[in-house]
Amino acid sequence: MNTPTLPPTTTLLRDARTWLLRGRLPIATAVALLVATLFANLIVADNFLTAFNLRSIFANVIPLAAVAVGQTVIVLGRGIDLSIGVIATLSSVVTVSVVEPWGLPAALLTGLATGAACGLVNGLLVAVIRLQPIVATFATSFVWAGLALYVLPPGTAAAPRMPDVIVLGYRGAFLGAPNAAWLLLLIGLSWLVLKRTRLLRHVYAVGGDEQAAFATGVRVARVQVLTYVIGGAYASIGSFAMLANSGSADALAGGGLTLASIAALVIGGTRLSGGAGGAGGTIVGVLVLQLLTSLLVALRPPTDVRQLIDGLLVILALALAGLWSGRRRSR
Amino acid sequence: MAFLEMRGVEKRYGGVVALDDASLSAERGEVHGLLGANGSGKSTLNKILTGVVAPDRAVIEVAGVETRIDRPQDAHRSGIAAVFQELSLVPDLSVAANIVLAFESSRLGFVQRRRDRDRAALLLERFASAFHGDSLPLQAPVGSLSPGEQQVVEIAKAIARQPDILVLDEATASLYSAQVEVVSAVIRELRAAGTLVIFTSHRLGEVYDLCDRATVLRNGAVAGAVDLADTAESELVELMVGAVTAPAEQVGHSRGAGPSEVARGTPRLEVHGLATDQLEDVSFSVGEGEVLGLGGLAGQGQSAVLNALFGAVRVKEGSVTSDGEPALPRRPKQAVDHGLALVPGNRGREGLFPVRTILENLTVPSMRDRARFGVLSDSAERAAATGAAAQLQMKYGSLDDGVMTLSGGNQQKVVVGKWLLTDPRVVLLDDPTKGIDVRAKAELYEVITALTERGVAVLLNSSDDDELLALSHRVLVFFEGRVVSELAGGELTRERLIADSLQVAAT
Repeated sequence: MNTPTLPPTTTLLRDARTWLLRGRLPIATAVALLVATLFANLIVADNFLTAFNLRSIFANVIPLAAVAVGQTVIVLGRGIDLSIGVIATLSSVVTVSVVEPWGLPAALLTGLATGAACGLVNGLLVAVIRLQPIVATFATSFVWAGLALYVLPPGTAAAPRMPDVIVLGYRGAFLGAPNAAWLLLLIGLSWLVLKRTRLLRHVYAVGGDEQAAFATGVRVARVQVLTYVIGGAYASIGSFAMLANSGSADALAGGGLTLASIAALVIGGTRLSGGAGGAGGTIVGVLVLQLLTSLLVALRPPTDVRQLIDGLLVILALALAGLWSGRRRSR
Repeated sequence: MAFLEMRGVEKRYGGVVALDDASLSAERGEVHGLLGANGSGKSTLNKILTGVVAPDRAVIEVAGVETRIDRPQDAHRSGIAAVFQELSLVPDLSVAANIVLAFESSRLGFVQRRRDRDRAALLLERFASAFHGDSLPLQAPVGSLSPGEQQVVEIAKAIARQPDILVLDEATASLYSAQVEVVSAVIRELRAAGTLVIFTSHRLGEVYDLCDRATVLRNGAVAGAVDLADTAESELVELMVGAVTAPAEQVGHSRGAGPSEVARGTPRLEVHGLATDQLEDVSFSVGEGEVLGLGGLAGQGQSAVLNALFGAVRVKEGSVTSDGEPALPRRPKQAVDHGLALVPGNRGREGLFPVRTILENLTVPSMRDRARFGVLSDSAERAAATGAAAQLQMKYGSLDDGVMTLSGGNQQKVVVGKWLLTDPRVVLLDDPTKGIDVRAKAELYEVITALTERGVAVLLNSSDDDELLALSHRVLVFFEGRVVSELAGGELTRERLIADSLQVAAT
């Protein structure tokens, strides 16, 4: 039979495609953005390099970093959690409410369990009952918000506070670097550990091609449920940072983290349809957002511009991400 | 008692019988060919064995034990692995990760990447010369490989599961000859090690090269099980063709005598040297009132021609003229402007708006002609839709019913009807009767006749060989993206069509 013969070697082409597929381009863009915002800050804000400013930048960045890493795990598995910021809120009010009677370690564990349980509910709704992730988690965000208001009604006289050791420690420094910076490093390391698990491998497989993963024997529903549980747990970790940063909890705070977490992961090069990217890029994205904020603060614009900028950034990042993937399709 | 026994396998899709009391029996250490023309049921039998399709009735015995196979996981558990032409690889994951997917080496939940890489390397080593470059692309994402390389990874992935039975259904279709040799060598190793390989390929040469015995299917039943060593290619074709009944009688419709007189009408569409990713140098012309059939085994480029003419895939080379004017479209919209209409094979996904009404489905493509300043008149829309429905003898309750409330045949009429309203000059039919019952088929044949009487040129791709022969004035036979022969007049026989499809000299 006349089968065609092998064409000349095309390894060069393959290398180029490998480079694109591995998402180096978005990461390079994110790092370039980080450098740009860094320089902009150095030029505009003369107090940028002071120890106090750096410390407060890191202190402010941890809640979003933790939440965004959690969101990244969910998005990698082709999901999304629009309630993740409110999970952080609920976890923080639960934690601060029980810290007095139960002690700190038990309180933190309770907070972590709260976040994971919320994630479990989201995951079951999406992967087992098969609701649309956007709708299901948008709905549960109101449930979590309601629960938070029930646990800690705003304006409560003598609202519970975190122990001073936490608040002071969070603003402290170790080996010349702010403690919050060390925390950021820990969050990054936790991702590196997580990434090596069998579970995360399967998350990438499900996000990359759900049908293929299923046909190969990956337990797709179980994997997806677990991404939401992990996401919820990271949201709790973010809530601990919120508590440490301010000393107390606010049942109305935290909602803004959701959109910012999506913005951060998109800037960091994670594909919104799943299967490609990672939390390393997300952390870069978080830093970019934070530096943009501090740039805005230095420029003293009207106060509410932050939200507007966040929204515009998400749209911009999505448009860029669409461009990359569009280029890939037409190759 | 053979190692694998399949008996009394039955499968219907709606009113269409795919398998009727089919059987298959094969031993360990054997490469067993599964052959048949279009619609013989060989793909369905493969899919039943691998759990992709659930049979209506079947007895399957593996190693003497009766086995139920309802899902892919059941097949995995029974030691059956499969490779189809459609891949089950995750493009973003590395080659090594894909090969060990779902059975990674792990300790405390952590993937042992080096061990997995070694396992994958050991396996791929045997296929080394099927890959470009000096080293195996173990760490490269699968999506960065060429289609042939991906297919080899898919085969390696199936072998990695150490199956007792390996099903290869057109698994060599996208491979170059050098890669086929590598895969063949591995298949022989597996046979020597006692694996049973079920092998399906449109290249008869590969079948003769690899297989010991073969089961030939015809119309969903076994036409014969043969030793290939003492069976000539022409005998195989005879088994596939079966007793010669006039195809026209089976379809209940005929072009009648002297098709050539109609066929010589003025050319409506002329195609020269058309090439796409799936096509090579395809040339033909189709005249006013002519039905030109596109035949061959399924998936040899017939649909690709229609999609290229309709501007739905990128054309690399070639020219198309419609009534003498250049008409190579870059988008479907341009094709519609040139007077072309496409009735796609997958009417659920490409031909209909499933949640909308019959009325809207019928009128959408031609709305612009009736709109005044962008505003539609309800009565004009209804009149147009009613006219088309009457012309096609559609059976429906109300035009406002959802289109999915119709039977399959009537749904297909909606897909045809919406293009009738654009008054097309060339109609492209891509397997239009797939999955619809005999009655609806007959009615659709009348529609095709009505089209030709109006001078419309029809390009017909059909996986039903009898239908193709009965409806077409001429048939182009495709093999691997090229036209290998053109049949007309007395050559329009089932035997010639199947022989040419397999590139075997007719007896």
